[in-house]
Amino acid sequence: MNKTYYFLIILILTLGIGALFFPEKSYIKEISPELLFYKMNNPSRFVTTDQVAKLIIESDPTLFLIDTRSSDQYGSFSLPGAMNIPLDELVDSIGIICPKWIDYLDIEGMKVIFFSNSDVIADQVWVICTRHELDNLYVMRGGLNTWAETILMPQKPSEYSPDEEFALYDFRRGACQYFVGGSISIKSDVVADQVPRVRRKKKTVVAGGC
Amino acid sequence: MKNLEERSEQYINPYLGGVLLGLTVLLTVYITGRGLGATGAVKSTIVAAVDQVAPTYAENQAYYSKFLSDDHHPMNNWLVFETIGIFVGAFLSGLIAGRVKKFRIEHSPKITPKTRLIFATLGGVFFGIGSQFGRGCTSGAALNGTATMATAGLLAMIFIFGSGYLFAYFFRKLWI
Amino acid sequence: MGPLISQGYINPEWNFVIALLLGVAFGYILEASGFSSSRRLAGVFYGYDFVVLRVFMTAVMVAMIGLVYFDYMNWIDISQIFILPTFLTSVIVGGVIMGLGFIMGGYCPGTSFTGVAIGKLDAVFFTAGLFLGIFIFSSAFPLIEGIYYGGELGPVTVMDTFGISRGLFAFLFIVATISAFILVSWIQKRVTKNEV
Repeated sequence: MNKTYYFLIILILTLGIGALFFPEKSYIKEISPELLFYKMNNPSRFVTTDQVAKLIIESDPTLFLIDTRSSDQYGSFSLPGAMNIPLDELVDSIGIICPKWIDYLDIEGMKVIFFSNSDVIADQVWVICTRHELDNLYVMRGGLNTWAETILMPQKPSEYSPDEEFALYDFRRGACQYFVGGSISIKSDVVADQVPRVRRKKKTVVAGGC
Repeated sequence: MKNLEERSEQYINPYLGGVLLGLTVLLTVYITGRGLGATGAVKSTIVAAVDQVAPTYAENQAYYSKFLSDDHHPMNNWLVFETIGIFVGAFLSGLIAGRVKKFRIEHSPKITPKTRLIFATLGGVFFGIGSQFGRGCTSGAALNGTATMATAGLLAMIFIFGSGYLFAYFFRKLWI
Repeated sequence: MGPLISQGYINPEWNFVIALLLGVAFGYILEASGFSSSRRLAGVFYGYDFVVLRVFMTAVMVAMIGLVYFDYMNWIDISQIFILPTFLTSVIVGGVIMGLGFIMGGYCPGTSFTGVAIGKLDAVFFTAGLFLGIFIFSSAFPLIEGIYYGGELGPVTVMDTFGISRGLFAFLFIVATISAFILVSWIQKRVTKNEV
């Protein structure tokens, strides 16, 4: 055989052996960076604790709460009906979402609401999932800290507050009754990093919705 | 090896041809995300012709209607233009190498030109039918399909060549 | 990055110009490799000329390993490329019929076009047969619809089917192809020696 052929065989075999060591990519679809950036700048993904409380009380069938904290924290306290998907388990070592979670998160018509102690980790999860073309994802503004402040220990508004504040306060007291039965109060160690509280008017439906 | 080179000295080295063809396939996939094909254009022509002659039949028939669209004419198709290119490219290559001559029939000395033409037509008919079942021919299904690692492509390649070898014995008089 | 057209790097208006140019390259290479001759093509089945196998397998190998590297370098979004859907019954039936057509006609569609271009009358008849065959298939479609849609698996790849990685399949394919090349050189030497 011609010498050139030996050279070519060695060349193509080397290329083939090289290909053996390529990491297996996962081919989950991704949205373009521009679109992701646009979506990240859009605050409509945030829902307030009041909206979440209302959905839970109404036992909205399209509500799907995801607790993004560690399983220890999830075990000690979480919202009723929430599922635990810790951030570490959601993604693999290179930041790609594990395919098994897609089945949970990608259900037509479900409103998926992420929450953590504050809303930082939940928002990270939101970005990861949105990047993978998942839809109808929301983040509970302020996380469980705000939940504790607003729903579990509502502050009575000052006398000069507008009527809406009192209506909200009444709702929260009702919600508090619903969630804790008026007896148990949440442990203070859950309330870690403070997030500026955003008071929004109580709305009937979660923004966006389905 | 020497023997082969003497026989095919007017053609380019088959491995060089293969590398060039592979690069063409790669370029096609890189630019368009799809593959080369050949039968697609024939199918488009048939669809267009039937649609011209009997539009209502074509619209209601299960197979023709698959390829009819209100947006564009069936001949306004990627593969049709690509196939025109095949003719042009082959003509150029033949012209450069001095292989373009007036119409002649290539056949084994053991058979008459007439037999050759009959079997060529029959072969075409079978290939035409098979290519529709295979959703592509040797170029579309076997070459591109295997290169893009589609299971269908690999199967098409295995079964085209496998069945060729299977039937080769019965048709040996045509060729050797 | 790629595929350039679907990712918007090239205006779709250029689609047909690109199609024409790629077709010219395709036709040129097929003809230059000797695919316009039916006796050369049929030789692969009788062991006297393996040009089809050499060109075809080299092309598949180069394109396949090229795609693996393009994918690794992120030059192409492999999830965007067209994957031929697998219909198990249909592709097996089709493959067998195509093999029969190949051995009878000595051409496959693409190569018959190159034969027509340089003036082979048998290629013209093969192409005419091709039209006839597709017309027969389309007209008889309601009768054979069951076969056509039989054994649907969707657009699966060999990675899904065999559960191996892209790189491993490419490597195995290269090893198999090179072995085949060495084997056919040996066969061809023997066959042609016997004839002479």
